[in-house]
Amino acid sequence: MSSDAPNASEHVFEHTEMLLNMGPQHPSTHGVLRVLLKLDGETVVDLDCDIGYLHRGVEKICEHDTYPMITPYFDRLDYVAAINGDLVYVEAVERLMGVEVPRKAQYLRVILAELQRITSHLLWLATHALDIGAATIFLYTFREREEILKIIENFIGARLTTHAFRIGGFEWDANPEFERDVRAFLDMFPGRIDEYETILSENRIWLARTVGIGVLSAENAIDIGLTGPVLRASGVKYDVRRAAPYSTYPEFDFEIPIGETGDTYDRYLVRMQEMRQSIRIVQQALDGLPEGDVMAARVPRVIKPPAGEVFHTNESPKGEIGVYLVSDGTNTPYRLRVRPPCFVNLQALKQLAIGHLMADVVALIGTVDIVLGEVDR
Amino acid sequence: MNRAWGNFAQRRKGATVSSIVRPGLVSFAVSLFLCVFDAPLREVAAQTQTQAPPPPPSPVVPTWSPVELIESLGVSHGFAEYVVLPAIQFAVLLAAILTAVAYLVYLERKVAAFIQARLGPMRVGPVGLLQPLADGLKLLAKEDLVPQGADRLVFLFAPVIAITAALGLLVLVPFGAAWGTVTDINIGLLFLLAVASVGVFGIVLAGWASNSKYALMGAMRSSAQLVSYEVAVGMALIGPLLFARSLSMQEIVEAQRFTGLWFVVLQPLAFAIYFIGSLAETNRAPFDLPEAESELVAGFHVEYSGFRWAIFFMAEYTNIIITSAIAVTVFLGGWSFPGLETAVSWIAGTDPSTPLYSVVFTLATLGVFTVKVALLIYVVMWIRWTLPRYRYDQLMDLGWKWLIPVSLANILITALAFLLAMRPDQGGVFGLLEVTKNGLWIGWTGTAWFIAVNIATFTVAAWLLKKLNRTSWTTDIDALRRAEAQKRAGRLATATERGAR
Amino acid sequence: MSERRSIGSILRRLFLVDLIKGLAVTLRYSARALVEPRDGANPLQSIYTAQYPKERPNIPERWRGAPKLNNDPRTGESLCTACNVCALVCPVDVIQVSHASREFRDGEKVKKKKVLTTFVFDTSRCMFCGLCQDNCPTLCLELTQEFELAVDSRAGLVWDREMLEKGINVVTYKK
Ligand code: SF4
Ligand code: SF4
Repeated sequence: MSSDAPNASEHVFEHTEMLLNMGPQHPSTHGVLRVLLKLDGETVVDLDCDIGYLHRGVEKICEHDTYPMITPYFDRLDYVAAINGDLVYVEAVERLMGVEVPRKAQYLRVILAELQRITSHLLWLATHALDIGAATIFLYTFREREEILKIIENFIGARLTTHAFRIGGFEWDANPEFERDVRAFLDMFPGRIDEYETILSENRIWLARTVGIGVLSAENAIDIGLTGPVLRASGVKYDVRRAAPYSTYPEFDFEIPIGETGDTYDRYLVRMQEMRQSIRIVQQALDGLPEGDVMAARVPRVIKPPAGEVFHTNESPKGEIGVYLVSDGTNTPYRLRVRPPCFVNLQALKQLAIGHLMADVVALIGTVDIVLGEVDR
Repeated sequence: MNRAWGNFAQRRKGATVSSIVRPGLVSFAVSLFLCVFDAPLREVAAQTQTQAPPPPPSPVVPTWSPVELIESLGVSHGFAEYVVLPAIQFAVLLAAILTAVAYLVYLERKVAAFIQARLGPMRVGPVGLLQPLADGLKLLAKEDLVPQGADRLVFLFAPVIAITAALGLLVLVPFGAAWGTVTDINIGLLFLLAVASVGVFGIVLAGWASNSKYALMGAMRSSAQLVSYEVAVGMALIGPLLFARSLSMQEIVEAQRFTGLWFVVLQPLAFAIYFIGSLAETNRAPFDLPEAESELVAGFHVEYSGFRWAIFFMAEYTNIIITSAIAVTVFLGGWSFPGLETAVSWIAGTDPSTPLYSVVFTLATLGVFTVKVALLIYVVMWIRWTLPRYRYDQLMDLGWKWLIPVSLANILITALAFLLAMRPDQGGVFGLLEVTKNGLWIGWTGTAWFIAVNIATFTVAAWLLKKLNRTSWTTDIDALRRAEAQKRAGRLATATERGAR
Repeated sequence: MSERRSIGSILRRLFLVDLIKGLAVTLRYSARALVEPRDGANPLQSIYTAQYPKERPNIPERWRGAPKLNNDPRTGESLCTACNVCALVCPVDVIQVSHASREFRDGEKVKKKKVLTTFVFDTSRCMFCGLCQDNCPTLCLELTQEFELAVDSRAGLVWDREMLEKGINVVTYKK
């Protein structure tokens, strides 16, 4: 506005909104998300997410790489749940090739995937609590996460971007101490969840900051296409592990926790419950761990799936992750496309945040649990 | 009992205003009743009254002072007492406080680390004891950046305001008996509160001058927060002042020493309010919104770097020391401790005029005060590293709708109880308190009376809070959800009305 | 719907019981931290920190760390046959293998053999996925348990054959 306008000062006060640029370098945007906020005082009246700061063109790169070479890229989509990313890709290729993976490998995959789900939820709880100001939970969850990472490190050889699976099974069988380590962890962990819940679940400040914040009805959640804990917290009982079972999940007994109203507190409760359910799955898988090989016998050295296409989905900690794979019979895919749960879940942010305060935006970014590696790909 | 609460809940239909007015009317009626039936009540009391206990001997405070020592060097008495001694005291104090602040940061990091299953600083010096020094050097060596478009002069000057206000207060804090304190003025507490609120200018100006939206929002939040919590804190202090009958910091301590009772026993509610309020005033979690890291990055000092940033940091920690010191002085007996005089007399004899006695006594009181303050600061840190952070509107709710009403109720009821408890010939009824020439004497009966009164105050406060806070009172999750949805709709309506949408 | 609550819940609310429970957890931790003897990274103890350079971490056997080119322990010659598989299989083209044909005499006949000349491994871009190691036919290329790869310059991150065979000199932290 020009300063020589007749009612310059009145003009200023008519427009009460302020544009605030949150990110890409901001402690609570979980990476390089940029959120443009339109504020009236501290009330959010509009919001826009600007993504792409971590875009690496993974889908395009995959068109030039052979099938085994693609697996490490899936570590780097959702890098806090790398094993779940690997799993969906190798299973897709195996489906395309018709490879039968040995049962022991299947069980080990389930154990690792569920442990990774726990690490992902722990990381979510850590950052979510930190955003709301409870700094201590952050360190506690990281301690438990570290224990899982040690287990994974001893088995696979890497901590974060693990490259855990090969097409057809595993590179190596589980290390001898694997079972003992996992059992030790399972013994310790439930008590630690109780500890987190003592600090948070009834805490009036935590309640004030999460209850009723970012309410999302079931219809809305389905319309946006949300999946994972965010959807289940709204009361929709949809979990790929049950809805379209893969691997050996039908053999395990576990529940799908759901919320009632779909606010931030429900999403918190759902994820806490999911961790407990993951413990149950790991326990059962460990008890029933079969003997045998961990690599399918008939996987050729050069992998050339028959021409065709496959769409395979898994339940990653963030939601439903899908891989659409088109093979033209050569050793590189013709087209690969990822259905990223984080990208879709992020679309709910605007609906969640409008009408809440600026401080709630950080809680809401935390509650949808995004990883920018997967949003931007 | 159960049903009674339920009925209250069902009957409450009227506006909030009436729920404020009604308790007011009730208390007015009570006071009217007391005025009218004053004389007959006294008559009744005069017959039932038991003899008040005899006042104890005046406590022993050393009479020797280092002024004599300075005088013996050939300095005139006035110069020694009003210039030389205060200068020495203040220099020592400043050095001590700056070191204390540096080590508070260290302590905070250690406390946080132990709570969080970590070790904290361990590398610089044994168990990291030289870490503050290393941090200080690092900050001094950093570039002093002024952002483009900042109001340069104000930007550079703001930290000075903050630190001056904080350090200037130190002269009045009664760290010890006799010459353990720099000075004591008869409006001490009032002066402390007044100057402490000057510090907020530093914050506001820093936020304004930074030319950054985050800093501006931090400054806005903190000015609103400080101003509103000052009210609650100030009113919480009135309760104990009724018993202290003085604003001078030393006399407040003496009053507690005289009756042998720390005022926290007589005024627990006021202590709780003061403590919560002072957390908010010093921007500590769960009220650290002005510098809420996750939302505002660092709030008002986001654009500061190097030593200017360190000055804000120092001011913050000095403020923590001062608010804790006020809490200790007013509620926790200041430098006094039961049996302290006896302990001192074992070492230094019983003659209060000897230099030895004076030195030992003063140092002992300094020690007691430091330990009390340190314990209180530990609690502050412990709270910070456990609890999540309130949201801005919830913080305001807590201040205006919880703390201020309770502190008002507390003042009212305590004052009435005080009046009733005084000796009839001194203007009261029951004669449980006695004003002697050394101060207020509260015997066992008086203490019991005030504890009973506190329980009553607590009930009244609970009732009042329930009336005022229909939504935030509840722990029922569904009710909280509804309330939050309502608030959200209300905010959106306001925004639309203002054309922001 | 009805807001009828027991007096107990009201008292719990007024006396901040929910907050105090959380505070008790953290107080327990800090009290234990002061008394318990510490041994690094034990999850059952109150202090979890491992003092890294002083306390060495336990690196698992399968760890995929610094690359190494193995020599034949008997002859001291490189095991690498310059087959180039590792370079081909690497998703990010980290490895460059070059070779020369060398004639050598095997009894009567003069044979030609591929021998490795240079081997460049750019650790700055490597993602330690382990594919090269898995696919090396002669067990020559190995990802070792060495993990301290930081150097002063970017150029130092590109390892030549000599470095790969000798391994890097890790500065050990004293005191
Ligand atoms: S570890 Fe993976 S990225 Fe590194 S050189 Fe080997 S194949 Fe390439
Ligand atoms: S795969 Fe092994 S043998 Fe072949 S070039 Fe690489 S290091 Fe040498």
